[in-house]
Amino acid sequence: MIVEIALYFAALSCIAFGGLPSVVPEMQRYVVDVQGWVSADDFIHLFAIAQAAPGPNILFAGLVGWKLAGLPGALVALGAICTPAAVISWWVSGLWEKYKEAPRRIALQRAMAPLVVGLIFSGGFVIATPGPVPDWRLWLIAGAAAVAMLASKINPLWFLGAGGALGVILLS
Amino acid sequence: MQVTPPRSLRELFAGFLAIGARSFGGVMPWAHRTMVEERRWMTQADFAETIGLCQFLPGPNIGNASIVLGKRWFGLAGSIVAALGLYALPFIWVLALAALYSEYAAQPTVRALVTGVGAAGAGLFIGTAVKLGRALARKPAALVLIAATFLAIAIGRLSLLFVMPAALLVAYLAARRGLL
Repeated sequence: MIVEIALYFAALSCIAFGGLPSVVPEMQRYVVDVQGWVSADDFIHLFAIAQAAPGPNILFAGLVGWKLAGLPGALVALGAICTPAAVISWWVSGLWEKYKEAPRRIALQRAMAPLVVGLIFSGGFVIATPGPVPDWRLWLIAGAAAVAMLASKINPLWFLGAGGALGVILLS
Repeated sequence: MQVTPPRSLRELFAGFLAIGARSFGGVMPWAHRTMVEERRWMTQADFAETIGLCQFLPGPNIGNASIVLGKRWFGLAGSIVAALGLYALPFIWVLALAALYSEYAAQPTVRALVTGVGAAGAGLFIGTAVKLGRALARKPAALVLIAATFLAIAIGRLSLLFVMPAALLVAYLAARRGLL
């Protein structure tokens, strides 16, 4: 299982344009729907923990590994999701000056933008819809957080806190 | 503005450690504050350019920035040291939180609270997507691609490993025709 997760996350790393949010729906599909390693409830809980902790949100991948195989799982999963992208970064950064203004590179960047937006929408939707039937209470919390974030500039941790409070009121 | 890049690996490590340690609620503002304002390792323009490069690359933006900047200043050793500094404390934090959660996961109130936090986190993704999507809203081809990606991934639950290459090819051809 740990080898499978390492290979799978390493593959995701190479196509994770837009960072973690872009690959969250695929992670959910793979570890919850396809493999059944993590329950849908656990997935949203791990996601919540990763969002509330400081640091790059890619640490969520490490938490999935932790759930599957403890500390070694966490290290392997985080290493797998980070290393291929790091190698690509290392390599491409040397070419950046040369190709920064190249029409093909600019076209590629423009091509990525709408896909990343569609994927981040998907990430939000998939996380807020853990079961086969949508739960209006989760959609309400997600919608409120989205609106609040767009309407203000305060630290998003406040919205996570408010989401937790709403969760206690609506869900327990 | 006078800038002085880090003079030693130790200084590089300490800087990225400081970014990771404080970055509650999002890393990028802290990266800016640490590297541009406090330590004056780089100019604002240089920072923006580096982040621009990292947004173009797959993987976590700030993780890639640690690789790119570490390489620029100290080569391979710099990349490794910067990345380790960035992830060290948040990694411990996130596992500590997860362990704490496991202790109380049986309690319905705790589960409701954590689910609420997760739903709010999902909302932050949606807010981010709206923010980024606004810049594209005037291009019909972009809206079609956003909708198609959403339908394929969120509703159709197709694998990203297939959707990404196919969608990227279509989008690239559209971009070359000036549609994006």
